[in-house]
Order: sequence, then C-alpha cells, then structure tokens
Amino acid sequence: MTKGKRLAGTIIIPVLVLIITNVICMSRGVTMFENSLNWLTFARAVANVSLVTFALSINLNSGRFDFSVGSIALLSSVFSATLAVNHELSPVVMLALSLLFGMLLGLASGLVYVTVKLPPMIVSLAVALFYEGMAYHFTKGHGVSFINNRELLDFASIPNYLIIIAVALIFMIIVFDHTTFGYEYKALQSGQKVSVNIGINEKKNTVICYAIAGLLMGAQGFVSSTTTGSIQMALNFGSIGPMFMAFLPMFIGGYIGRFSNDKLGYLLGAVSTSLISLLYVRLDVNSSVQQVVSALLLVGFLIFLNNENRIKNLFRKH
Amino acid sequence: MDNEKIIRREKIKNIIFQVAPVVGLIIMFALFMILAVIKDINIPYSMKNILNQSVIVVVVATGAIFIYTLGSFDISLGANMCVSALIGAMAYNRTNSLLAMLAFCLGTAVLISSVCSILASVFNLPVFVTTIAMLSMLNAGVLMLIGANGTGDIVQVPAAAVSAINTTWFKLLVLVAYLAISIFVFNFLKLGRQEKFVGGNPECARLTGLNNSRLAILGFIMAGIGVGLGAFLTITYAPTLSRNTASSVGMDVIISIVFGGMPVSGGSRSKIYSAVVGALSMTLLSQIMLMLNLNSGISQMVKAIIFILVVYISMSDNRKNILPR
Amino acid sequence: MKSMKKVLVLMLSLLLVVGMFGCSKDNDGSGKSTDGIDDSTNVKIGVLVADATGAEALAFRSYYENYIQKQYNVTFMYSDELADAAAEASAIDNFIANNCKAIISFASADRPAQIRKCAENKVYYAVATGTLSDEEYKEFKDNEYYVGAIGPDLYTEYLAGYNMAKYYLDQGKTKFAVFGGATPYYVDMHIYRTAGILVALCEAGGGNYNGASDMGSMIGTIYGMNCQLTPAVIGSVELVSYIGGYDFDDAWFGKLAEAANNPSVEVLLAVGSGLDTFAAFKKPNQFLGTVDAYTADAVKAMEAGTLNYLAGKFSASIGPIFMATLSAVQGKPIRTANGEALALSQGYWVATSADEAKNFYAVDSSTTDPAYTRAMLDTLFGASYDDFAKFVGAFSFEEIQNLKK
Repeated sequence: MTKGKRLAGTIIIPVLVLIITNVICMSRGVTMFENSLNWLTFARAVANVSLVTFALSINLNSGRFDFSVGSIALLSSVFSATLAVNHELSPVVMLALSLLFGMLLGLASGLVYVTVKLPPMIVSLAVALFYEGMAYHFTKGHGVSFINNRELLDFASIPNYLIIIAVALIFMIIVFDHTTFGYEYKALQSGQKVSVNIGINEKKNTVICYAIAGLLMGAQGFVSSTTTGSIQMALNFGSIGPMFMAFLPMFIGGYIGRFSNDKLGYLLGAVSTSLISLLYVRLDVNSSVQQVVSALLLVGFLIFLNNENRIKNLFRKH
Repeated sequence: MDNEKIIRREKIKNIIFQVAPVVGLIIMFALFMILAVIKDINIPYSMKNILNQSVIVVVVATGAIFIYTLGSFDISLGANMCVSALIGAMAYNRTNSLLAMLAFCLGTAVLISSVCSILASVFNLPVFVTTIAMLSMLNAGVLMLIGANGTGDIVQVPAAAVSAINTTWFKLLVLVAYLAISIFVFNFLKLGRQEKFVGGNPECARLTGLNNSRLAILGFIMAGIGVGLGAFLTITYAPTLSRNTASSVGMDVIISIVFGGMPVSGGSRSKIYSAVVGALSMTLLSQIMLMLNLNSGISQMVKAIIFILVVYISMSDNRKNILPR
Repeated sequence: MKSMKKVLVLMLSLLLVVGMFGCSKDNDGSGKSTDGIDDSTNVKIGVLVADATGAEALAFRSYYENYIQKQYNVTFMYSDELADAAAEASAIDNFIANNCKAIISFASADRPAQIRKCAENKVYYAVATGTLSDEEYKEFKDNEYYVGAIGPDLYTEYLAGYNMAKYYLDQGKTKFAVFGGATPYYVDMHIYRTAGILVALCEAGGGNYNGASDMGSMIGTIYGMNCQLTPAVIGSVELVSYIGGYDFDDAWFGKLAEAANNPSVEVLLAVGSGLDTFAAFKKPNQFLGTVDAYTADAVKAMEAGTLNYLAGKFSASIGPIFMATLSAVQGKPIRTANGEALALSQGYWVATSADEAKNFYAVDSSTTDPAYTRAMLDTLFGASYDDFAKFVGAFSFEEIQNLKK
C-alpha cells in the first residue's frame, strides 16, 4: 500500500465527517467552531469517547464483552472525588487517584473472571451490579459533589483534555504495539489455544488487560465528573450507558486500522463522533433525533464495512 | 479402572451442572419460605405476586432462548417490548378490542425482531451490534409514539378494559401455552436441534448445508412472539405506558437466562427451561432482599455475589486450559 | 476436589444470605402510648419512590428512617427506584405481601392504579409531596383507604418558578438562561415551574412568549411546543438560552455549557438540579437560582456565591402525611367535614442568602430536632381537619419555629 493511500485511508472518515457537519451547519447559518466553548465541547467529547473506546476495545477485540466499564468509571471517580474533596487535593492528584482506583477495580474484575472462568459477559454483569451497589452504599446514595471546588472544576480546559488524549494514545500504542505483553495480547487475540499451548500466560495477560481498561475508565470517570462537578449514582445497570458511545468509533477505528495504527483509528473514530456531537449542540438537535441519527450511522457504517467488496463490485460493473 | 472413575466423575459433574440452577431455585424458595414464616408475611399473596412479577420476564426470556441458543444476543428486547405495548395500546384505544391489542402487540414485536435479524442476515452484520442500533432507534420511536399520541407522557388503556384478564389464571394460561409451544419447537422440531448445532459450531453447521440466516430469522421470530406476549401482559398488568415501560426487561432477561443455567455461547447445552428457573430465582431473590429491608446499594451487591456464585456452580468449567470468551 | 470447592462456595453463599438475618431487625414495640397513639404494635409502611438518588429524595428518606422510625413503632419498607406503572404495581404487591398496613407514595406514573390496588387490598394510601389532579381527587376522595395528599400543588410549583424569576427581574436583570429539567419528558411539576419563569419574564418585559403571557396560556403553549422550548425575546427581557432533559451525553454537556456561557446571560435559572447542571458552568458575574433540596453542598455553594437563590422542600414536610397515615391505620382517620380525603398544599422554603440557607439546612438535616418533631406531630394524631390543615398551612420556616416554641 502506498503512503498516499495509507494517509488517505486514515483521514478520509474524519475529514468527510468534518466537511459534512460543517456544510450542514453552514446551510443553517451556523458556524461549527464559533468560539472557544465549541472547541472545549469538542475536546471534552473526544477525550470522553476515545477513553471509553480504548477501554472497551481492549477486551472486546479479544472476544470479551464488558458491561462493567461504566461502573468502574463511576466507582473510581466516587472514591477519588471523595478523597479530593475531603482532603482538598489538587486535580492532578485526583486524576492520579482515579487512575489508581480504576486500575484496581479493573484488576479485581479481571481476577474474578480468570478465577471463576465464566464467560466474560456474565462476569461483567455481576461486576457492574456490584460496583454500582458499592458506589451507592459508599456515598449513601448521594453521589459526590464538588461544585464548590473551583480548582477541580477548572481542570476542564482544552489543553488538559489534549494532554489526556495524547497520553492515552501514546500509552496504548506503547503498551499494545511495543511490549511483550502487547505481542502476547495479539497472539492470544488471533489464536487463543495455540498461544496458550506455546506457553503464553493467558490469565496474566487477561488480568493486565482488565487493569488497563480500568485505568482508562478511571480517567474517563475523572473527565466526566469534572465536567459538572458532580457524580450521579446509577443502579440496576444504569452505568452501562457510556459503553454504547464506543461502538461507532470502534468500528471506524477498525477500518482506519487497515491503513495505519488501530489505536489512532479509535481516536479518529472518536474525533468523528465528537464532530457529530458538536453538530447536535450547534443545531440544538433534540435527543430523539440524535438517537435515530446515531443508530442509522452505526448500521450504515456496519453495512459498508461488511459489504465493502459487494459495494465495490457494484460500482465496478457500472 | 481409572478411566471408569474419571467417566463417573465427569457424569457426576454433568449432573451437577444440569441440576445446579434448579437446586439454586429450590434453595431460594426454601430461604424465602423460612424468611416468610419468620417475618410473618402473607404467603398466598406472595405466591401470586411472585408469579405476577416473573411471568413477563419468563415469557420474554423463553423466546430469547431461541436467540441465545444460536450464540447471538439481543439487547433491544426491552425497547421492542415498549414499542409493541405502545402500538398495542393505541390499537385498543382505536378499536376497543383486546384481540386487536394482542394482534398488534404480537405483530409489532415479530416485525421488529424480523427486521433486526433480516438486516443482520442480508448485510452480514454482527447481530449484537445490529440490536444496539435497533435499541437506539426503538428508544427514539418510543418518544415519538408517545408524543404522537397527544398526551405527551403516557399512553393509557382504561384499567376496566383489562381488569377481566388481569388474573393469575389468565397469565398462567398464556405462560403455559407459550412454554408448551416453545418446548415443542425447541425439543421436538428440527428448528431447536439445528439452532443448537449452529450455536455450537456455526461453520460446521453451514458446511453441512444448514442455512444459518434462515435459522437466525426463525429464532428472532420466536423471540418476537415472546416479546409481543410480554407486551400484552404488561398492558394487562399496568395499562399506563410511558417512555420507561419495560426499561429493565432487557437486562432482567439476560440475568434470568444466565441464572437459569443457559450458556451465553448457546449450543448443545442450551435449555428451554432456563428462563423459567432463572426468572423465578431472580424474583425470589428480590423478595428475600425486600424482606431483609436492605438499602439499595447493599441489596444490589448481595444480588451480584449470589448471581455469580450460582452461575459459577452451574456453569464454570475448570477443565479447559483456556479462558472462556 | 473441585466439586468440594463448589459445595463450599454454595455453603458460603447460603451463609451470606442467612447471615443477613443478623443484620435486619424488626422494631419491637415499646408499648408506650402518647396522645392515643398505639406504640405497642409495629406498623409496617411501604414507601414508593421514583427517585432513589436525588438529594431531595434522600433527605425525605433520612427523615423517615433516621427520625420517624426511631420515634414511633413503625418500619418503613422502601421500594427500588420505580421507573414505570408496572414497577409501581409490583412494588405495591410486594408491600401487601409483606403485610404493610399503609403505603406512602412518592411515585406518580399511575396514581389512580396505585390507589385502586391499595383500596382493593384494604391498605391505606397517601401521596407525599404531590397532589392528585382534580378528576383523580373527585374519583377517590370518598375512598376510606385514600388518606390524601400533602405537597406543593401545581399552582405552588408555578409560583416557585415565578417567584424565582421575579426575584432577579426585580433587581433589574433582563437576560436569562433556563434549565427546564424534566420538562421535555412532560413532567408537570417542572412544566409548571418553567411556565412560572416565563410568565414572570412576560410581565416584566411587557411581551409574550409565543403568544402566551399568563399561567393558563403558558401551560398550553408549552404543551403545544411538545415541551421543547426555544429561546425568545420577550419585550424588554430575553430568554437567551434554554436547555431541558437529562441526557448526560457529550451533546447535552455541550448544550448546557453553551446555554450557561452565552456572554449576554446574566441569570441562570434551573427548575431542578441547578447545582448538578448549571453550577459548574456559571461565571462569577452571573447569578444562579434553582429549585432544589437543602444540602450541605447547597449551603456551601451559597456561601461561595455559586448559588444565590434556593427554593427547596424541607425534608420534614412529609411528617404530617405520615401522621395522617398512622392515624388512619390506627382507626382515627383525618377527613374533611364531608368525610373526604386530605388535599392540602405546602410551599417551599426560599433562601436568598447563605445565612438563611445555613439556618434552614441545620434544621432540615437534624435527626434529633428536625422541623417537625414527634411532639409536634403527635398533636396531629386524630386531629380535626381544620387543625390539621392549619398545621400544614403554616409551613414557612418562621411559622414552624414559632409552632415549636
């Protein structure tokens, strides 16, 4: 594949989305990026979506479906925000704590999985229920509020989001593309039984995967909570919502991954969906329409992905 | 001799796997009864209550077994049920006919299920992701239907219209009839056997000439019937429908099926009765939590622990040297 | 060996559940009797809740569980968070099976169905912090098992929004951003508060909002817009931005930020959850008013100047409906002269300064000396309708403090 083709394949989706969303905005007399607030909204969305996409993709690419990612974000941010509020900690310390708690919660989830050896979806259902219950019990149902802590709220800035996005991307690329763990992860992904038979420690690799996914969700929980300064409680699987926003960017990332790095693809997928989110904001689209559009985009893109050859043949014939 | 021992041990293990969910149900029931006596609760009313609360999930989950057996998974069942119930209620309000309500509930649910599976089959889409997109579409559809109905927040069937069929006997009749049909189709017709084959090894099934897409569509139709009946029973039980109607059914169905011993990967170990066992066990567990009057957080944590323990006993397979996916 | 492990696990799980026996206890009757209240028998009361995590809902729960339950021989059984009418029906069935003698409801998906089910099963039913519609009241007012409803009626909700907006309009503010809470979901309480805000803007600005300028027409207009409101210039004042709903997705956060951070906005008004929505986006030169609960965070926010106006229900406001329910269960129902059920309105406590908020919160959060103490509530047991109505009607902070004295 030529460099030009690789570059084109990598950027074609986000560029197309950027053009289309801008054209729609312009046709309604609205400027997509009118002020710094629009950039902030966009950066926050990219940070949120890319973190969840990275986290979900780690296990989903290995056939492990994880309903518990949202509950890890919830509980880790509950723990870190409580400590930050009670001990007047700085945003950086709160972020570090969120990462730590997220990693530990992910680790615990992974340990349960490798211990009970049940399908990951089942384990993640139980873990989600447990973590939601724990967050509720820990805060006595009140959640955590730090609206009076300006320092924590002021973390919500474009440079900070960019740093988080960049660090997460570099971390993902290094860990999964340039370490023994990453090579073993890929081996297990493509040939589980063979990999185990040649001596790769699947359990260790899996637990690390869960811990990394937890770490990323800790960061997402932090980003999400510092947006409004409050953490709302969720019960009865109320925490699984964030998971759904990761599917479209994941599939876009998978496509882009053919031309370049799949992690970069996830990020560009997140950029694309965040542009769409900003379009909703700028045109004040109501949530019903948002849901329909998002569903159609997901199905449409999947149809394209799974029928690429058929579509190409169709065009070739004519 | 050693081989015989191993075979015997394996047989015992298999029996444990088979009966563990049922034993779990019996234990739940025993615990419930002990607590009921200690707490002096109204046992006859409780029995009726447990049936009322289980029946909808049992019906929907029994249908969903046809999807799970294929190794597929549908997260949009609750939203499908909500849309079907809304359309059914609107049909009643136009016609004053309970039969029309039933027909529209069933028709809508089967149509939605079919669209989902046909879309997945025709375009080679992963079924689960198709159902995620369907979930979003249906949720938006619910808001639009409620808005279009004029009242804004609810769609209502007069309580008097359904009070005659809001009885234990009617619900039992619907449940038994649907269960009987499902058991017959699953255990005595080709469909059930072929589904197990596809769920166990789709590639092998395809190579032996089975049409996996056709089976998926049939499986989704069977599930659609369950969803339609669930929608009808929901209106019967609570004739005021809102955007939140059946919002918890999707997850309740997953939990119940798994709790009842159904492997999420489908295949030959799939059991049609898992839905009954699982839904009853979960309802009993909820009743136990209520009697203990625990706060929501603790109650949910205890439920999670019991869920994983019961499923561990009934499903975990330590023989394999690789992790299940 | 592995089978043994599984058996052990099973036994552990059994122990876990059986161990819970030790954690739960029934409140044994102390046998004491005050003002005719029978404290010898424990009365189980089911509580239906549509919200298990909101600050207001938790404050109410705390008053019942941490004060009332310790003062009287009653046990409150709380439902899970109830999302729809079917969940409400199931929860009522649960309470009936558990021999609850009465049900106090904070859930409103289908109140008539709740009342019918309770009455069929001879269980008393009361509405806390809400009201029935006129038609519903007409249908159930004579039902002996319907105790009644005490809470802000829709006009009071309208006034809560109206007074909040007027407070800032009187200070000469003209540019507003409004968070409509659950208005897009057709929740009456929030629609009426929003209507109140808009009518106040119309009166001050000398204009109208899409042709409406009074309460009746404004409610009609809001419904006519499918509860999806839009910004508008209203005479000399302006609704600069508006956002409703609780989507909690990136687009929603973006809309919230845009609504609050419009450079011309002077005042942010929230018909609910102002602290969880607008507060984080508020600029130092803006003002924020909300209808919400009295919490430690709200007090701190008022001290910090983040919040400037707070209208909140006080947690003990659900004391009288408890006493009316207990009275009914113990054979002394409180009815009107015509034997009809209670239908009484209560208003909000409004704080416009940190000191006021601090005073309100100190009383509101107390589990030893709350706004309505046992001594005060005991006077309501079997009281006449007039006395009861007078007590409930004196709901302001000052009036309650005077009653205490």
